[in-house]
Amino acid sequence: MRMKLTMALAGLGLMTLAGAPLLAHHAFGGEFDPNKPVLLKGKVVKIEWVNPHAWIHLETPKPDGEKPCEFTPNAKCEEWMVEGGTPNTLLRRGITRDSLAAGTELVIDGYQARDHSQLRANGRNVTYPDGRKLFLGSSGTGAPTDGADPAEAGRGRGRGRGGL
Amino acid sequence: MRNRFLALAGALVIAAASASLGSAQAGQTRPAAKPAPAPSKAIPRTADGHPDLTGVYDLATLTPVERPNGLPAVLTDAEAAKLEKQAADRRELLSRPSKADRDAPPLGGDGSIGAAGNVGGYNNFWLDPGSSYVQIDGQKRTSLVIDPPDGRVPQMTAAARQRMLANRNARPTSDAGENGNDPGFEGNGAYDDPERRGLNERCLLGFGSTSGPPVLPNYFYNNLHQIVQTPDTVMILTEMVHDARIVRMNAQHLPKTVRKWMGDSVGRWDGDTLVIDTTNFSEKTRFRGSSADLHVVERISRIDARTLRYRFTIDDPDTWTAPWSGEYTWPTTDDHIYEYACHEGNYALANILKGARLKESNDAAKKTKQEKF
Repeated sequence: MRMKLTMALAGLGLMTLAGAPLLAHHAFGGEFDPNKPVLLKGKVVKIEWVNPHAWIHLETPKPDGEKPCEFTPNAKCEEWMVEGGTPNTLLRRGITRDSLAAGTELVIDGYQARDHSQLRANGRNVTYPDGRKLFLGSSGTGAPTDGADPAEAGRGRGRGRGGL
Repeated sequence: MRNRFLALAGALVIAAASASLGSAQAGQTRPAAKPAPAPSKAIPRTADGHPDLTGVYDLATLTPVERPNGLPAVLTDAEAAKLEKQAADRRELLSRPSKADRDAPPLGGDGSIGAAGNVGGYNNFWLDPGSSYVQIDGQKRTSLVIDPPDGRVPQMTAAARQRMLANRNARPTSDAGENGNDPGFEGNGAYDDPERRGLNERCLLGFGSTSGPPVLPNYFYNNLHQIVQTPDTVMILTEMVHDARIVRMNAQHLPKTVRKWMGDSVGRWDGDTLVIDTTNFSEKTRFRGSSADLHVVERISRIDARTLRYRFTIDDPDTWTAPWSGEYTWPTTDDHIYEYACHEGNYALANILKGARLKESNDAAKKTKQEKF
């Protein structure tokens, strides 16, 4: 019996572990093509801080790119749009559209939209060039902290179940 | 193997589990069904003397709607702490840096399931799924469902199962033959037109049952709700996807011919408890496969100045073999609720439909080519 409950608890933990990143607003499988994996290295042009998903516009250098790069001198770029999550949760942590400065260098892996004429991909994993996750820790570009540390000034109030 | 497993689970849980077994009995313990608390002067009240339910509440929680198999109804503090730490550790793990020189994800998909559809979703830093278990009357609960006492939604009736099957058959299904290399794809027809997509994907109504009734957490993000209260009307706003349900106080239900997506809600005060009765649902929203004759009764009361108790009872004899009930707390949050404005940036739906058009034309071209040769 002891074993059974222990296993149930461990199982619940695993279920919680596996569940989190798989939830989403819509059918990602219908939007993106598993046969078109992409690794994008470029600089932020702008971010659309909108629902149901924020979109990061990223310019990536390409010799026959359609336009001159904004942030890489004497080079041509193409512009990708990368899908993120809802901005509301990040707004509550003090992160705004201004937190991701234009020109910030990012590395993004994901899958391209099924309509390959569109340079759009899901932001399966969005990091700074050294691998740190976006919006977590200091980016060196003025991005604030994520509020996870209660000691951080002003933000980081308890989320989830308080007031009991 | 056993030792390894025990090590994984940790001595803390084992001690806690042993301590709790007296009351656990494989999940059959009914949470104490105490009556609503006696009127308290400590709670805020409106000018007409009723409890003031006005506020913004964050419903995010780790407690699932149904109790996972094998868990007791109530966790000890140590068991809850263990599971809450596991959730926190998971978040910490997902926050760690990735390899700087990583490659693109695997060709053919990353194997992710559910809505992430074999291409992954997005980073965990976007999510806010809740970090602790519901605690009511000092009990840390493992399910929102309290009746039946096993914490599970009752069986569906045979008629409801047939109805579900018919609905499923009317909708596109996965076609393994054609999409065997693409497990994230829902199959032919699923993406043909916007009206075949879910209400949430079309920004029409919230996720699962966030808007309700019954109002349930979505377990991933934007679980904020706002109550605005006047003597004649109570409004419950759901942040995602910005649904406002109007409860008419001391009113009669609309004629049965009038059907609404969130049903027709009328309210009354039963002492210090707001009782909301909702009927007149449409076929557009089928709560867990319910019929349009679904009847939901919600009872909202104040536990203290910062916490509401939310109870709901579901009755739909066409769908479930017995009525069932659940409850959880709505803790006040000092965070802001934001307009969700779902249509503003819903590129996803267009991308999905464009992808389907492209597949359609590619398939047609392939067919023409095959016919030629």
